Amino acid sequence: MTTLDCRGLACPGPVMRARDLVDEKAPAGIEVLVDNEASASNVARFLENRNYTVEIERGRGEFKIRGLRGEGADSCELIPTHRLETAGKQTLVMISADRLGSGDDTLGRGLMFSFIKTLGEMGENLWRLVFLNSGVKLTVKGAETVPLIRELVESGVSVLVCGTCLHHFGLIEAKEVGETTNMLDIVTSLQVADNVINI
Amino acid sequence: MPREIHPDLLVGSETGDDAGVFRLTEELALIQTVDFFTPIVNDPYLYGQIAAANAMSDVYAMGGRPLTAMNVVCFPVNEMDISYLKEILRGGGDKVREAGAVVVGGHSVEDQELKYGLAVAGIVHPDRILTNTGAKPGDLLVLTKPLGTGVIATAVKGGFASGEVEAGAIEVMAELNEAAARVMAEFPVSGCTDVTGFGFLGHALEMARASRVGLRIFASKVPLIPGVLELASQGMVPVGSHRNLEFCRSILKVGERVSPVLLDLLADAQTSGGLIISIPEDQADSLLERLRAEGVQHSQIVGRVRSEGAGSIQVV
Repeated sequence: MTTLDCRGLACPGPVMRARDLVDEKAPAGIEVLVDNEASASNVARFLENRNYTVEIERGRGEFKIRGLRGEGADSCELIPTHRLETAGKQTLVMISADRLGSGDDTLGRGLMFSFIKTLGEMGENLWRLVFLNSGVKLTVKGAETVPLIRELVESGVSVLVCGTCLHHFGLIEAKEVGETTNMLDIVTSLQVADNVINI
Repeated sequence: MPREIHPDLLVGSETGDDAGVFRLTEELALIQTVDFFTPIVNDPYLYGQIAAANAMSDVYAMGGRPLTAMNVVCFPVNEMDISYLKEILRGGGDKVREAGAVVVGGHSVEDQELKYGLAVAGIVHPDRILTNTGAKPGDLLVLTKPLGTGVIATAVKGGFASGEVEAGAIEVMAELNEAAARVMAEFPVSGCTDVTGFGFLGHALEMARASRVGLRIFASKVPLIPGVLELASQGMVPVGSHRNLEFCRSILKVGERVSPVLLDLLADAQTSGGLIISIPEDQADSLLERLRAEGVQHSQIVGRVRSEGAGSIQVV
């Protein structure tokens, strides 16, 4: 374990010293001492970026950032949380009905509302929603799911709505959210996605 | 209330607005602002340009146009060659001219550390003043320049930034907010502020508080200078930007999909940043189109104004 004392150094000083050490010696273990939160967060982020598993120890006005990699890191269970979030794959959710499941339709509509409301919990993995058949009714004027879908669009989720289906139900003009699309786009999306969830 | 201080003081320092505004006649008000800072780039000419664009930005953010400017200089006479100062002043002067304003003088003092900026005077019609108090629920927010100058300046210091990324930041910082302000004047804009040291989130927060509204920010839509995301994920976030985020954190609700690195960039302290324009939803697309047509090509719709959560920000 190599230790760097970077107390008293201003940003980006501590990261520069950590970089020099990592570039020259590539140590399996590195420990960096800093005296402020910003430097601690920056050094931690730099080490994560260089494939170290990072742990921060907070003391009084002092922070110790410990990075491990190689064999030492394998036994360590600490995985930076944002790495977990971004490690995911593109998930596509295909929604081909305006209710969830079969049995009771009132229940099914309520479940669909709740399903769409909760979709955001998938985090960064949620890539695209495709609305098909009676599912397109969830995207038109008056549907209580429209604001929920709009929120997903605003947070970066792409939303495709089947044009043939809208046309079939006479709802082309009524669509309020998402991009009207064709079967080619839908098929290509299915091919590009890492995971497809069919509802 | 500024008018309790003087009947003609239309905008004072109470709401953390960009500049002071004083009514001269029924049709004319004076805008005054001053800003100066230590070098943000090595090239003195570019430093001068950036300082001038930054100082005049406050006038544009109030809906006005700059008329005159005075140089403010702190210079280490014994340690630095005077030609360096001449280049700074040439850069500043050129930028002021580009804005259609004139440099009418200035003042310098000897100081250990170099600082440069300008005091700027501008004008606006008293009925056309834009402040950060005007954002209305239902409005959309438009941001006119990409973020990341603070992170890039730190990365340049640390030798992490490529010349290309640095050039991108310089171009953004030296760009006047003149075109954005000119286009904005064609629309029924509710409110405006510019993005500087408190970062996008900090200035948005001031707007949320002053306008008594809640803001929802679409994190993935916020324009970023190319390459800056990578630099932030290598630990190049300056202390000031870190503090900005800490300051906002208690009133911030951050969605699952927003990465910590992106959040840092939303709080990144900007030099000569763009305008945040609050505009009724049905006008937003035409505003965006006009901005891009006038060369403000990085403009994006980045958020929505809401009545819920007054004085707070939700980042999704």
